[in-house]
Amino acid sequence: MKNTNEFDICIVGSGVGAGPVAHELAKAGYRVGVLEKGKWFKETDFFKDEQLGRHRVFRSQFKDERHTLEEPNGDGTWSSETTAQFWGGNIVGGASNFMSGYFHRLKPQDFRLVSEFGEIEGANTVDWPIGYDELEPYYTKVEQLVGVSGKVVEHPHLEPRSTKDFPFPPTAEHPVAQRFDLACRALKLHPLPMARGILSVPFNGRLSCEYSGYCGSYGCHSGAKASSRAALLDNAVAGGNCEVITQAKVYRLNTDEAGRVSSADYFDKDGESVRVLATIFVVACYSIESARLLLSSTGVKHPQGIGNSKGQVGKNLHCCAGGTGHGVFKLDKLKEFEARQLKIRGPFYNRALQDWYVIDDRSVSDKPIKGGTLDFVFDPPSPTAETAGLKWQGDNLLWGTPLKQKIKAHFTQSKDFKFEVFCDWLTNDECYVSLDPDEKDRWGQAVAKVRAGFHPHDEKVAQYLVDRGVEVMKAMGADEAWGNVFTSPTSNLVAGGCRFGNDPDTSVLDRNCRVHDCDNLYVTDGSFMPNGGSVTPTLTIYANAFRVADRILEEMKVLEPRT
Amino acid sequence: MLNKSLLEKGILEKSQLGNKTALFPNDKGLTSAGAAKREHGSIKAEFVSAYNSGLNRRAFLRQTGAAAVLLGLLGAKPSAVIAEEAEDKVENDRGLEDFNAHSRGVVEAVQLQLFPDDGDGPSAKQLNGFQYLSWALDDPENVAEGDKAFILKGVGWLEEQSKATQGESFIKLSLIQQDTVMKQISQTRAGENWLSLLLYYLLESLTLDPVYGGNPDGIGWKWLEHQPGFPQPVKGKTYLDFS
Ligand SMILES: Cc1cc2nc3c(=O)[nH]c(=O)nc-3n(C[C@H](O)[C@H](O)[C@H](O)COP(=O)(O)OP(=O)(O)OC[C@H]3O[C@@H](n4cnc5c(N)ncnc54)[C@H](O)[C@@H]3O)c2cc1C
Ligand code: SF4
Repeated sequence: MKNTNEFDICIVGSGVGAGPVAHELAKAGYRVGVLEKGKWFKETDFFKDEQLGRHRVFRSQFKDERHTLEEPNGDGTWSSETTAQFWGGNIVGGASNFMSGYFHRLKPQDFRLVSEFGEIEGANTVDWPIGYDELEPYYTKVEQLVGVSGKVVEHPHLEPRSTKDFPFPPTAEHPVAQRFDLACRALKLHPLPMARGILSVPFNGRLSCEYSGYCGSYGCHSGAKASSRAALLDNAVAGGNCEVITQAKVYRLNTDEAGRVSSADYFDKDGESVRVLATIFVVACYSIESARLLLSSTGVKHPQGIGNSKGQVGKNLHCCAGGTGHGVFKLDKLKEFEARQLKIRGPFYNRALQDWYVIDDRSVSDKPIKGGTLDFVFDPPSPTAETAGLKWQGDNLLWGTPLKQKIKAHFTQSKDFKFEVFCDWLTNDECYVSLDPDEKDRWGQAVAKVRAGFHPHDEKVAQYLVDRGVEVMKAMGADEAWGNVFTSPTSNLVAGGCRFGNDPDTSVLDRNCRVHDCDNLYVTDGSFMPNGGSVTPTLTIYANAFRVADRILEEMKVLEPRT
Repeated sequence: MLNKSLLEKGILEKSQLGNKTALFPNDKGLTSAGAAKREHGSIKAEFVSAYNSGLNRRAFLRQTGAAAVLLGLLGAKPSAVIAEEAEDKVENDRGLEDFNAHSRGVVEAVQLQLFPDDGDGPSAKQLNGFQYLSWALDDPENVAEGDKAFILKGVGWLEEQSKATQGESFIKLSLIQQDTVMKQISQTRAGENWLSLLLYYLLESLTLDPVYGGNPDGIGWKWLEHQPGFPQPVKGKTYLDFS
């Protein structure tokens, strides 16, 4: 065992939950150590190359690290498969390097689901220990510091804002957006320009967007995407107080007899165990892995794992419920200039609908229920994957001229626009993380087992929203439109597992995201969220991590710094 | 040699698939969780994209169509490993591991059937289909999956079938006869796997970046009016150069 380093604060992970804490603490002059399992890749490593993603250059290797996923079969039994599904990005900055950057704020009612909408049987829904007001200044901070482009327009569910508009103008829009706006207005809906975690103008040493059209799932070559690395860690490290230790797979937090974390142990790239000392520790490994690390870290005061004295670690995991839909436009049925417009690749669709954030419709429920968001988006281009799917006709293999014609028609004669539906994945007793007793990763540590049960209410809400999306697609003139509801977990949009709350019996973290039974340990990724709201979570994870960074700063002031 | 039990197995699985496929109206209107799970792209469904799904690259790619989704779920095709399990093992003797002039000729002829020079769009030959295939088969991941041995083995099956039913080597047949033989072998699971695997690589040579050896000068993209991303990968920065 090597003792390499001693920091004031040691952060495990380097993604969205980690970046704000590293940035703020380093800026305040504290010595920050970031332990990241992956390597450091930069803008110059990011090419629009489908092979990069497919060969897991930037992702964890299945053979080295896995998860077990259990899903309901529908007959009371559970399927079980070993998967690499929940690895978003095994590099500095984590999945935020590859995200699409849809950045919605939550709304006040997301913090008060029970008070606003009542209990739902079979769900573990709770109100948050903080309100929207407490997070609002931090949303504003993320928009400015991390860089969010957009335009505020009035609509019935617009959340309160302390600033009139986004600090950066909206990113360039695809002509389909105008078609969308017209159709929505005819339906008396409120089309919203979607805010993006993407710079529309250069800022803070980062370039603005290059509009290659290859965004979500691909690394950003210009630095425009609001990854934790480009937006925060690069600066934190340049300031001199932050050190990012790469290829450091943290496998255990050690606790002393008082129950405080005394050190973190990691395996370096040669498999050698290294120990890091610090005053305060922060875990931000992405929900499932954060729960796994706490459960694996047993000690005298924490025989069931840190934070788990009440058996809450890993519980109340949630994903984004919802679904997707498509509208296919046959180009030969459009005027030539319209067809040409629709084929343009580059600018963003950037549209959302939140008219049904609360569904007040007697045909679904006799009282208003929580609804969700529809995001209208482009699929990340992936021509090899698209083409490979075309070689089947029914269950027969297709080849020769018929195959060529099918491929050509797919690429040149129609255009498929997509929408994605986000609604709450209600927390429930059958959705949680535990340690798999049988499977180990390459370092001999039990892998995380994810049970991904869902509540039937989610399907009802999702179906309602998917149907609305299909109506919009038809109103836009799609020749074909359809949609599906998902009940499988979205592996890239997972949160919960260490929810925050005032009651240690039903939560793992206190209102400041400090572990109830370990007072120098914080968890700052999406684990803290009692529910995800009906939007993608990353903006909120960023905002909350900045909030927690302020609390840690207050704490640091009264603590003796390590010398 | 394709034995009878393999053939029966193929038929059995096809009928199971037929039942399941009827539930789904078209390629994309999938309703089951499993099917939805395989839908790729976008942030919502990203959990199913290639690197995230826990599937290997080819398994993912073959699962992007409806039938393929179901085939994939049932573990039917087009995998060398599965065909291997179903039938006799692909031998690992060195002799089988390289293309000789004859096997190359057969594979090139099959590729031209799969993607013919029909006056609309590039043919397999113009796509550098065979060169791309030989390069890809030396990729360590594909080597580990036994693709080259499987493809060479399939050449043997095709030749046997060709001689048994047409009295000649595949290379000597007319285009129509070649198509007949390919249809015959596609009736078996291993045969369909084999063709599907060849198609898989061929379609990569249609749409992958030219840096990987297929799609010379982007002819595949031009035909499909496809706009590549920016910046395109360059020599020295392909996926093989990151370790
Ligand atoms: C393709 C894609 C598109 C997305 N699009 C959007 C979007 O449009 N909008 C949105 O809101 N969200 C989006 N997301 C989700 C978003 O990326 C995540 O919400 C966000 O990155 C989560 O941040 P995190 O810090 O919790 O985890 P991550 O970003 O995953 O970071 C965790 C880091 O911890 C490291 N780590 C894990 N375990 C250990 C360990 N034991 N020791 C050391 N290091 C460890 C990992 O290597 C990783 O770098 C998308 C994600 C993907 C993959
Ligand atoms: S489209 Fe813009 S934000 Fe997205 S990867 Fe390209 S440059 Fe970065």
